[in-house]
Amino acid sequence: MNRLSQLPTLRINPAQKISLNYKRKTYQGIGGDTIATALYANGIRIFSRSLKYHRPRGLYSLDGECSNTRMEINGIPNVCTENTLLKNGMTIKAQNVIGTAENDLMGFMDRLDWAMPAGFYYRTMHKPAPIWPIALKQVRKAAGLGKISPDFQMNGKYEEIYPKADVCVIGGGPAGMSAALTAAKQGLRVILLESRPWLGGFFDYRAAEYSNGIHLFERARELAKTVSETPNIRGFIHTAMVGAYNNNLITAFQVGGESDHFDERYIEIRADSVVVATGCIERPLLFENNERPGVMQISCAHRLARTYGLLPGEKAVFSIGHDLGLEAALDLSNLGLKISYVADIREDGQDPGLVADLAKKKIRFLRGWVAILAHGDKSVKKVTLSTIQGTHHRDVDCDLLVASAGMTPLTGPLTLAQAQLAYDNHTGCFLPKKLPVKMHAAGRLMGLNDPLSIEASGNLAGLMAAADCGATVEADLKQTRERLNDLPGPVRGCKLVQAPVKGRKSFICFDEDTTIKNVEQALEMGFDATELVKRFTAAGTGPGQWGIPGHNLPLFVAQYLEDSTVSARPTTVRSPLVPAFIATYAGRNHDMCKRTPAHDSQKSSGGIMRRSGVWKRARYFSRDSGCREEIENVRNNVGMFDASTLGKFRIWGPDALKALQRVYAGNMSKISDGKVKYAAMCNDDGCIIDDGVVVKRGENDYYFTTSTGRAGNTVEWFRYHTRYDGWDFHMINLTDAFGVINLAGPNARKVLEKVADTDVSNEAFPFIGYREFTINNEIPVRALRLGFVGELSYELHVPSSYMQSLWGLVAEAGKQFDIQNFGLEAQNVLRMEKGHVIIGSESEQRTTLHDVGLRFLWDRNKTQAKTVGAVALKQTEKQEGRLTLAGFKMENPSHTPKDGSIIVDSSIRGYVCIARFSFVLKESIGLALVDSPLAKEGTRLQIYEDECKGQHLYGTVVPTPFYDPEGKRLRM
Amino acid sequence: MKNIIRRSPVSFDSRPAKTEMRDNWTVALEYEAEETGPYLIDLSHRARWDFQDVDISKIQTWGMNVPESPGQCLFENGIIINRMNRTQVSIWHLSGAKPDVPDNPAFTDVTDTTVFLALFSKDIFSITEKLTSLYFLDPLKETPFLLQGPFSHIPCQIVTLEKIPERSGILFTCSRGYARDIIASILEAGAEFGLRPAGENVLIKWLNELWG
Amino acid sequence: MALTITCPICDKRNGYEFRYGGVDKGPRPDEEGLTPTSWCDHVHMNKCVAGIQKEWWFHRDGCGAWFTIYRDTTTNLEVDKPEAN
Repeated sequence: MNRLSQLPTLRINPAQKISLNYKRKTYQGIGGDTIATALYANGIRIFSRSLKYHRPRGLYSLDGECSNTRMEINGIPNVCTENTLLKNGMTIKAQNVIGTAENDLMGFMDRLDWAMPAGFYYRTMHKPAPIWPIALKQVRKAAGLGKISPDFQMNGKYEEIYPKADVCVIGGGPAGMSAALTAAKQGLRVILLESRPWLGGFFDYRAAEYSNGIHLFERARELAKTVSETPNIRGFIHTAMVGAYNNNLITAFQVGGESDHFDERYIEIRADSVVVATGCIERPLLFENNERPGVMQISCAHRLARTYGLLPGEKAVFSIGHDLGLEAALDLSNLGLKISYVADIREDGQDPGLVADLAKKKIRFLRGWVAILAHGDKSVKKVTLSTIQGTHHRDVDCDLLVASAGMTPLTGPLTLAQAQLAYDNHTGCFLPKKLPVKMHAAGRLMGLNDPLSIEASGNLAGLMAAADCGATVEADLKQTRERLNDLPGPVRGCKLVQAPVKGRKSFICFDEDTTIKNVEQALEMGFDATELVKRFTAAGTGPGQWGIPGHNLPLFVAQYLEDSTVSARPTTVRSPLVPAFIATYAGRNHDMCKRTPAHDSQKSSGGIMRRSGVWKRARYFSRDSGCREEIENVRNNVGMFDASTLGKFRIWGPDALKALQRVYAGNMSKISDGKVKYAAMCNDDGCIIDDGVVVKRGENDYYFTTSTGRAGNTVEWFRYHTRYDGWDFHMINLTDAFGVINLAGPNARKVLEKVADTDVSNEAFPFIGYREFTINNEIPVRALRLGFVGELSYELHVPSSYMQSLWGLVAEAGKQFDIQNFGLEAQNVLRMEKGHVIIGSESEQRTTLHDVGLRFLWDRNKTQAKTVGAVALKQTEKQEGRLTLAGFKMENPSHTPKDGSIIVDSSIRGYVCIARFSFVLKESIGLALVDSPLAKEGTRLQIYEDECKGQHLYGTVVPTPFYDPEGKRLRM
Repeated sequence: MKNIIRRSPVSFDSRPAKTEMRDNWTVALEYEAEETGPYLIDLSHRARWDFQDVDISKIQTWGMNVPESPGQCLFENGIIINRMNRTQVSIWHLSGAKPDVPDNPAFTDVTDTTVFLALFSKDIFSITEKLTSLYFLDPLKETPFLLQGPFSHIPCQIVTLEKIPERSGILFTCSRGYARDIIASILEAGAEFGLRPAGENVLIKWLNELWG
Repeated sequence: MALTITCPICDKRNGYEFRYGGVDKGPRPDEEGLTPTSWCDHVHMNKCVAGIQKEWWFHRDGCGAWFTIYRDTTTNLEVDKPEAN
């Protein structure tokens, strides 16, 4: 198709050829084309088939108001081709078709509309019951538009930014630009968001006069230039605002241009004040076949010509209700479009100049007339015009029907921010009535139409936003208000909702194929609120949200309900206002995890690193997930384990002991020098949340450990439970400051002796001892002699930067004793054999200190400390009906139940916390939380394992520890 | 046997062109082709202390006063003191000889608790806005100032040394364990601006220009 | 994401940086004479006001302070000035 190439309003570059693939053919578009305009230029009129009825659908709007032109682009379904710029080599496919968009084998569905009334599948397909599973399959098959391949890989670079602004202006039209400039003049930092790839809004493509002989498009470019030259305005073009939240948090999606380093990016703006100047879209005209390809909105036809150089048709008829329609008809006629009729819904109120010009052009102008039926199977061939009373008809041949009932302010951003809208009788629109604090609206959104008024309202909003940010603008505000008052206010709008038709094929929502008839059906069934009608008919639930049904649906409902005050409101819109890629929401990689200072050492020794909470830890050191070698080596020789993830803290100050007494269940005043104290923390329900050890390093100066999972919450926990006390104590989280090697096994001492600069004999450094010494005269070590895995073992805490050196030293020293690494799984088995619990494995939210057999960690006599959990511990001490931790041995050692298997008789009586085959005991053993009567030694437990097919497993409760019950090995 | 070294949690892909050993640390002084930045520099070998006291403003450290209110920082003699809250400051050694450890239980050596990084030269706030909603260009804040908050999702202490576009710079610390991930994240965000690792020398030079 | 909390040290920040510490219930009661019911009520029962409540927040990703704010639960916005801990 030949382009109009001399218009000053064009946004295309005919010299740049861009090819695209569609229907196995290569087509040519040009620079600046969107996918939709390129297809249109190549004569494509049918872009897709509709959701339910498979009706042909074409270009109706240009800003993505409906799903008509959503297509599959390079494998990505549902891409809005109206605002996606064409790129070389794009492969385009029509959606929801079997065959082609022109010849869709499912086209017969359109004749079956009688079988699909509103809510038909809620109502019909469930009786008799056997129908539903069959119907379900068919409905699933038919549902949705685009399809994505399950193994589709989303290419591209998706990013995010969090820019800061004093004022965020949404909409880069004349009102938005005026607001931005006004606020920027006050020295404020302004962010301006515009969804199209250029600033200018509805001035951008119009040749009508602005004032003093300047055309509107010239004015738009002048404003855009000023904006770009203002350093404190940061403009984001091709950026669709998608969300507005409390405290003026605005989110948007930007499509990257040629020079950008991203394909799309997510923008999150926290602004002190927000100006919404999103303007209007058009209110679709409701008549029969109102969505037939060849029917389009005024601005779509006008912009095709003015922005993209495409005459939208050859022979056109206009059926409009707004002066913009008259202006477009005149302009397009000047550009070469043949227009036979302009039917204006309005009887009067038109701009007399425009009417006179139409007469000059010999375009027949009908007042009080409207289109009622578009003819033509696949695209418009003829239109029937009628008086709005339906008394006279006239058929006119055409291939383009420009149809629009009026304006719909784009109030989406306001609705998201919980603004109130109200129907305005003068304009026939829902206009903002009550705005949230520090949010302002300007421009056509307010019902304004006059260019000068639109700009003045932008100035006013900019000033109000500046005032929100603390600027002194009272005089300016007063002056601007007066100026706005003197300028033309909102014009009277067209009120006609429905042409005089029955409405069987008049579509109120294109995306969901909802007709007027469907809406009537819903209303007749008693759905008397717009939101209910929306849900029952699905009108407005498609990708365009309320782009098509926005005003028509509530207005139609109001008419039907004989509600002359139009108390119905537009249905709620939700973010994202514009469909957005999940890839853009996901942005860059956000998963941050921690590595211990022994990470590299372990990895090079064959450690298989797995994510565990915030850390990456060595789970195994061989492919054997039973870890037999690792386990047996700890029992027989010596192993080393990276325990750096343990929480580690210093607490000191005059009231440090008071704080310890508050949060630890035990009596912390009884910590001996050179010894570790094992201690537990509970919450206020007496449930165990943490265990660890505490040492006293000096007067009012303690060092303690917590479990890995609690490291991040411990300071917070101490401070929370002492927040009313005003105590003088200090804490610092040293978790990352120290690497920890757990050296465990009968040969552990022999290894330590080789590296430590001190006597580590059993006498000099006994069980539960605490020592500080150096290794190799260099590395300072805090050593704790503990026995979590049930063997002689030392926890060596060293500054993290020395960890790798120490790791190497210990590994080297241990070589002659066959030292080996062991990982988390081996540790888990070892400690289970010893009957030691891990909080979160053998405990859950309801588990008290009593339940896991750690009552000895509670001191009941320190009531003055108001210990967290003490009250509940006292109250639950003898409580019946609790789950109690019990050790059990499987009758058949060759089948170990999975962790989490349930203990059953006639009901569920508990569950297996952990169970493993013990290589040292040659038994399958485990720990389970069971109803307390079942915890008695000798009780037979019946275990139901997933997929056991009725074959229960059996175990017997036995005393713990399973391994070394006298605890001799710890004290070796 | 003298293979006892202290290791920074940071490892960049590119190798430094010039290093020196200092207190068992291998310190990168220069990288090849450092050019004009922006730069990311590992300072994890520089000593850091935590200092807490209920009457913190009354105590002088190395003759320096503690900044008056939270968020304020004080730079003197190669040391920066950052007021974190009512009772706590962090102290970072930046340049010159390492000072002696004060003999006061209110101090805790936290050198190994965190990774310590510097991001400076041009375009750095275009990088930071990709990583955090924290705002460094607040006209109401005078440099140097401290912000405590998430940076690339990780809680950080961030000191803004200079906001002037062509020579801006921040210093920051976060938990040592996150070093690898936060560096990957910053380098990725900075790739489009040419962000590169650099050695300590370029920072020292820049600090001298900044504070003489 | 939209919630902001004003920390007395760090000023207004994104709500994600904080942990909620519950509505303000005053200091821990003395242990004498507490029944399971009265203790459970103290720990778990909340008034759930539709309106302004005083509540505790912890600046977990920031300065590490516990402090109280007044929040209107109907708008999810802070009111008044928060108190420093």
